[in-house]
Amino acid sequence: MGTREDEYDYLFKVVLIGDSGVGKSSLLSRFTRNEFNLESKSTIGVEFATRSIEVDGKTIKAQIWDTAGQERYRAITSAYYRGAVGALLVYDIAKHLSYENVERWLRELRDHADQNILIMLVGNKSDLRHLRSIPTEEAKAFAERNGLSFIETSALDSTNVEPAFQNILTEIYRIVSQKQMRDPPEGDVIRPDAEPADQRPSQADSVRKQCCQ
Amino acid sequence: MESYQPEYDKSSVLSDTFWRTPQRAYPGGPRQKVGQSEVMSGSSYQQFQASVNDAWDLGDDDIISGIAETRISKAISQTAALNVINSHRNSSKNVNKGDVKGETDSVKSSTEAIDVRKNEVKKLVGGQGAVGQGGSGPMRPYPGRPRPVRLSALTSREENNELKLERFQQVHESAVVDLNELKQLSWSGIPVKARAITWRLLAGYLPANSERRAETLERKRADYKHLVRQYYAASDERDDETYRQIHIDIPRMSPLVALFQQRTVQVMFERILYIWAIRHPASGYVQGINDLVTPFFMVFLQEAVPGEELDNYPLDKLTEEQRDIIEADSFWCLSKFLDSIQDNYIFAQLGIQYKVNQLKELIRRIDKPLHEHLQNHGVDYLQFSFRWMNNLLTREIPLPCTIRLWDTYLAESDGFAIFQLYVCAAFLLHWRERLMMEKDFQGLMILLQNVPTQNWTDSNISMLVAEAYKLKFAFADAPNHLNAGKADR
Repeated sequence: MGTREDEYDYLFKVVLIGDSGVGKSSLLSRFTRNEFNLESKSTIGVEFATRSIEVDGKTIKAQIWDTAGQERYRAITSAYYRGAVGALLVYDIAKHLSYENVERWLRELRDHADQNILIMLVGNKSDLRHLRSIPTEEAKAFAERNGLSFIETSALDSTNVEPAFQNILTEIYRIVSQKQMRDPPEGDVIRPDAEPADQRPSQADSVRKQCCQ
Repeated sequence: MESYQPEYDKSSVLSDTFWRTPQRAYPGGPRQKVGQSEVMSGSSYQQFQASVNDAWDLGDDDIISGIAETRISKAISQTAALNVINSHRNSSKNVNKGDVKGETDSVKSSTEAIDVRKNEVKKLVGGQGAVGQGGSGPMRPYPGRPRPVRLSALTSREENNELKLERFQQVHESAVVDLNELKQLSWSGIPVKARAITWRLLAGYLPANSERRAETLERKRADYKHLVRQYYAASDERDDETYRQIHIDIPRMSPLVALFQQRTVQVMFERILYIWAIRHPASGYVQGINDLVTPFFMVFLQEAVPGEELDNYPLDKLTEEQRDIIEADSFWCLSKFLDSIQDNYIFAQLGIQYKVNQLKELIRRIDKPLHEHLQNHGVDYLQFSFRWMNNLLTREIPLPCTIRLWDTYLAESDGFAIFQLYVCAAFLLHWRERLMMEKDFQGLMILLQNVPTQNWTDSNISMLVAEAYKLKFAFADAPNHLNAGKADR
């Protein structure tokens, strides 16, 4: 499973959120396996994948949680925002409703996620040019007003998928490493709020109390 | 062991009430007398149950009372199921030429029980060759991405079917079907030719009394048509949110199977799900329920076109009447089927959260090393078993296996809500050796989300349910079994 590439300097947890059908799972499979999966069913609850990238010679392991889009699942999925240092908030550039709902998702993050979480607004399905219903400029302006970074992607033809994840992970890395220079680090792994992400048994106790109940 | 106090406060200790569930009630399950309401905890649950009672008020009380009559005592059901398991074991023994030690006293002690389980698993793997249990079996690298449906396997592989089919036919032909006998027969798997009728009977959709069948079917099918006109056809009155969600989910159910890419089929699914959702406002449509229509649909389709290859079957070849029957029967059977697990789909999916906690507790008692392994690596049961329960394992095993599994679910005498928990436990334990080899959180999670079942067949399911039955037998009625003192909780 490739988990022997266990060497990493940083471990960042990132969540993928947004309306149903906007392509969250497709972005994940494009980024972690460079595949576009035709057999892409609705996500039930949450699903999980990882990939490591290099920034400044450091290995950053991204632990990415893909969540179900249906409103009904909110109660379950919001548990997974905890400990996330980044969020990709995805909408479909051809589905106006998914863009309108971005505000609701932001509220959702404000209520359940760490207040310092970095958020990137992602307009997916940019390959559907003829069906576009949200102009790039409009979304960009919205992102600026709300302090989000912004990018348009296509998981189908893989446009900008790599940069989207690279950018947010790099940005997180910059913030964290600057912070580390100011405050001496306790360890080399960033594990906000003891999320399940650790390999060292000695840390197990802090992880154990995590279960959602 | 006997220090357990029988006099406990029912309302305060959920987990205790769970282990002894002689008369629990869950929404839509076989009804107890109205007004008798101290089961589960708290009255809000009862209110909820009352609030969703409406779903069945469409003149099918006869069927509900039919179910009530068929409740059988625990002792009888256990003996029956043991017989079934034993006879099944005997037949599979012959097939596998293996031996299972400790068969008769399987639950004598914990370690023995676990030993037996390991042996069975090993035996199964040995017998089946490429089941994928070995250390390096091919694993789909997709997190949570299910495999193609491969419906062709539906028609193959029937063990000693002729004899069994005859027995089913005998039961079907009697004036009043003996449902207990039918359940006993069905628990270990139903022959393809007998399946559609048996499912209708077991779901409580088709009356046991043969004189009433034709009339009931006619009426229910007409009722369904009426529901379609009432709720679905009037598109300006549709609940947009529900419709939209269903509409998003249906086309991506099985994108690679031509059968499901036909608009005719998708519309049938849409109507079934939409009407079910509207009639069950406490839950509504929840992603994943769409997968639960498929087995019914396939079984009734197969009945309509026996022997045909279904993966590509053009549904327009059927008459409208045939399609209507498949749709209406799928709808009613799905509704009956979901009755006992409706709390899985209410707000916050409390039924599932509750069951996930039960699963955790159960594994802690059965296999502490595995439990601790998962815990030490930060794996939360909710992270993997939520989907197992929400979709009743349909995402984890091939469709023909799901259908075989549902033979057993439908044959469970008290509904399958509790049994399903033990199936999930057995399923998790099935992978324990592999799980124990995983050394970190990601390895565990990726495995748990992609358990390699692509080569599973009916016999894997037979082993799984037998194992689940054994666990239930050992643990459900013995809250302290393997529980070396409550202090270590």
